Amino acid sequence: MEHARHVFRVVLVVIVALAAILIGRGFLVPKSHGVFGPYRGDNVVEQMKARPPAHQGAASCTPCHKAKAEARAAGSHKSVSCEVCHAPLLRHVADGKVTGPMPVDKAFTNCARCHRKIQGRPDKFPQVVLEQHVTTRLEGAVCLECHDPHSPKL
Amino acid sequence: MDHAPRPSAAPPPPPPCDAPADAARRDFLGAALQVTGGAVVLLAGLDAAASSEAHHPPPPGGDGYNWEEHRWAYVIDTSKCIGCGSCVRACKQENDVPEGFVRTWVERYISGPGGSYVDSPKGGLDGFPPVPTAFTPTKSFFVPKMCNHCKETPCVQVCPVGASYRTRDGVVMVDGKSCIGCGYCVQACPYGSRFLHPETHTAEKCTWCYHRITKGLKPACVEVCPTATRALGDMLREDDPVRHTIEHERVSIMQGHLLTEPQCFYLHLDMEVR
Repeated sequence: MEHARHVFRVVLVVIVALAAILIGRGFLVPKSHGVFGPYRGDNVVEQMKARPPAHQGAASCTPCHKAKAEARAAGSHKSVSCEVCHAPLLRHVADGKVTGPMPVDKAFTNCARCHRKIQGRPDKFPQVVLEQHVTTRLEGAVCLECHDPHSPKL
Repeated sequence: MDHAPRPSAAPPPPPPCDAPADAARRDFLGAALQVTGGAVVLLAGLDAAASSEAHHPPPPGGDGYNWEEHRWAYVIDTSKCIGCGSCVRACKQENDVPEGFVRTWVERYISGPGGSYVDSPKGGLDGFPPVPTAFTPTKSFFVPKMCNHCKETPCVQVCPVGASYRTRDGVVMVDGKSCIGCGYCVQACPYGSRFLHPETHTAEKCTWCYHRITKGLKPACVEVCPTATRALGDMLREDDPVRHTIEHERVSIMQGHLLTEPQCFYLHLDMEVR
């Protein structure tokens, strides 16, 4: 009888522990776990609302900057979105209201990202050897002294 | 069990006196077993109910987006990439990617009979410089890289807490609230597309801009790409140009021997690229 008591105690402890784990698990595992798969299902909704879209595309600039937009659309930079050289629209406009100045990178390094002659670019893409193309000092917004970035062909 | 001292004057306890105590204990144990057993059955039942609900869950999100109606896929035409790094910049700004990390990046491959050279300075964030090579290059090209959003995801399989997952519309994502930052997924990804955020210490990766594509916008990298190297499409839409490319062109995938079934397809991918 004495031995049986020991067995009972051990079994009791195991059962209590198991029950504690299962009940604790019930509290710790989020309700949405398993609803859409083996993860916290409502995270999909959180991801959808994670942040407001910052980039809005070139079309969203046209209503206010019609002349620039038309010049760009007619020139060789027509496939370059405004937000490539400027910043994402959200820095400038939120909820249809202007919230701050739109930054722009006018430095020659920004032009060089696409047009500096380097290994790797497709041959037919317009590229220049900076040191040969720029005869004055290679600094600042030197490219914009001759080229209009919205319609860069001279 | 009963260690209380008994008065010496009292006679030894008769057996019938102990019997109710034993019976009570037996009853208690029996009841305890029933309660725990019941709890187990109940919890199992709850899980089963949850999983049966999983077959027909309400579409999440609302706002006119139903993930059953989309299956996203991505096409990268490496022959068009000029290595400007606009995609890397846009991704950083769109998703607040921390300094020193990238969710998408561009690699440059320069090769010739005499050797090969691969670089990706800061992931291509500031473009690429000219490089002197010790050999005469015969071909050179850029390869944009990112999460391949695999169907058979190694990263999701190793996650011990269910924080990594793949949605019905085919996007692999991380639940930052559940992630414990163990980094197994970072090591499991054969494409190196995950990293641990230095502040939150949770896994981060490309989401194909889930906050944008669920609103009908393109991912930021696709939005800014000046040469249309990158494109995201919907495999459930019959008139989708990306679906047309995948179904009709000769596309390749990265590291196909790993059988991860990437949903990022490449056009004009060189054998040098891994």
